[in-house]
Amino acid sequence: MSVDTDDVSDRVTERLGDLKRMKRIRRFGMLLVVALVGVLFNLALDQVGFSIGEIIYYWPSFREALGQFFPTTTYVGGLVFLDFDAYWAFIVERGLFGKAIITLSMGFAGTLLGLPGALLLGVLGSERVTPFPFNFIFRGMMSTIRAIPALVWALIYIPLGGVTPFTATLAIGTDTMGNLGRLFTDALEEVETGPIEAIESTGADRRQTIVFGMLSQVVTPFIAWTMYILEINVRIAVTMGLIGGGGLGYVLSTERGLFHYTNMMATILVILVLVISVEMISQRTRSYIRADDDAETKGLLQLLTEFPQRMAESMWR
Amino acid sequence: MSTITVENLTKTYGDVEALVDISFEIPDGEFVVLLGESGAGKSTLLRCLNGLTSPTEGTISIGDEEITGPRDDVAMIFQQHYIIGQMSAYGNALTGSLNRTPFLRSLLQRNDRADKIEALNALDTVGLLDEAGQRAERMSGGQQQRVGIARALVQQPSLLLADEPVASLDPASAETVMGYIRDAAKSRNLTTIASLHQVNLAREFGERFVGLKDGELVFDGYREDLTVDVIDRIYGNIETSSIRNEREANA
Repeated sequence: MSVDTDDVSDRVTERLGDLKRMKRIRRFGMLLVVALVGVLFNLALDQVGFSIGEIIYYWPSFREALGQFFPTTTYVGGLVFLDFDAYWAFIVERGLFGKAIITLSMGFAGTLLGLPGALLLGVLGSERVTPFPFNFIFRGMMSTIRAIPALVWALIYIPLGGVTPFTATLAIGTDTMGNLGRLFTDALEEVETGPIEAIESTGADRRQTIVFGMLSQVVTPFIAWTMYILEINVRIAVTMGLIGGGGLGYVLSTERGLFHYTNMMATILVILVLVISVEMISQRTRSYIRADDDAETKGLLQLLTEFPQRMAESMWR
Repeated sequence: MSTITVENLTKTYGDVEALVDISFEIPDGEFVVLLGESGAGKSTLLRCLNGLTSPTEGTISIGDEEITGPRDDVAMIFQQHYIIGQMSAYGNALTGSLNRTPFLRSLLQRNDRADKIEALNALDTVGLLDEAGQRAERMSGGQQQRVGIARALVQQPSLLLADEPVASLDPASAETVMGYIRDAAKSRNLTTIASLHQVNLAREFGERFVGLKDGELVFDGYREDLTVDVIDRIYGNIETSSIRNEREANA
């Protein structure tokens, strides 16, 4: 018994030593990684000319800008709060709701223009429609389209349509072919084999099998994905304005150029209302047509708090 | 319509022999039940008959024509019904007529009036005429399977195959669905081959029985020949003790 214990404890100490050694190696590796990231971070800051001094130096003027972003006024009873009248005056003066319609139209028309291409590429990109190596021709086309951000597509199309909402709409349409097409392909990979075989066994031809056996299974996801892309496209349409594509984004960039920060903030508020309205409508529709539990519906508050992140995400997609 | 002939049918998947040298002949209008444990080769046999799978050796023919792929006149009812959930019962039934509808017409849903009536008739046959406009995914399992039957009937087949058509249904629905299959087959004088693993149901609905065990044909005969010993041969002793008890009780 005691011999056994000695024997075991020998092996245990040996193992303990092993573990300690491994821990030391891991700790050393970790330090190395942290140091490396630190160096890279420093280099990156250097590249972008980041300096705390700059922030301190320009802080007063930024604070001034903030004051203009959020103008205040004294309401009855001595209450000091945001001056909504200043925002409203600009919204009415520049007809921002009309601009919102232009932005919305870019997103909506772009989505519809891209839809046929997305359907074609998406369906042909599925391995179940086009046999293996060949489907990558279409997948490759979609990847290429997606690799180029919508904003860059707009730059590419400028010789075609000038710096106009028209060019922006073409760019959004192109972007939609890549993004929506990819979502279609993914949805198709998930269709069940059973119904396809069932349609095959009725003696239907290949095209009929694709339409009735496969596509009929994904009608709802296709509609839902299209609504989702519409949401994104409206956000992209805002950023299109920044390069001169018209609509709300254009107002935003001109007012920034004029250093009219109150007007800028008024425009941002209208953008917020537009994008969130489209998102709410889209999400309600999606959860309605899906009619199942996993459909997410975000509340107004969540939509508001997550707005900056989604806006940023769609900027360069 | 004509005789179904299966000759020396063998199907192997790698080293696994799913079917070994099966031969039988079915004259017009017979209702045949395939018996066997799961894995005995029933599904493989049906898939070969349907042309979804091609045999390793041997042939299957309808009349003089050999089956080489899915055929317009061979219809299949699947265990999981495999109807399209997002389409209506009527739309699903109508897919049975795809083989005689040109692509564009089927895409635009400009089906022949005769086919539309055929689809509604088939739904009527399975007692679903009133539910024709209902979305298939909102229907009960039994109803969905009946839509599957309607689709098969719209195909105007000369051979109707059913792969465990009632295996995923509760006993009451199973009886109903089998009843619809039998009535549809009888009224159209339709040769039918259905696999069933419930011996009780098989005895109730089958006319002729083909028993498979480990891919081999161990029985081929009519109801009066389907003795308890035969069932033992097909299933081992598992399934039959209840039947034996039942019989003794009856006697």
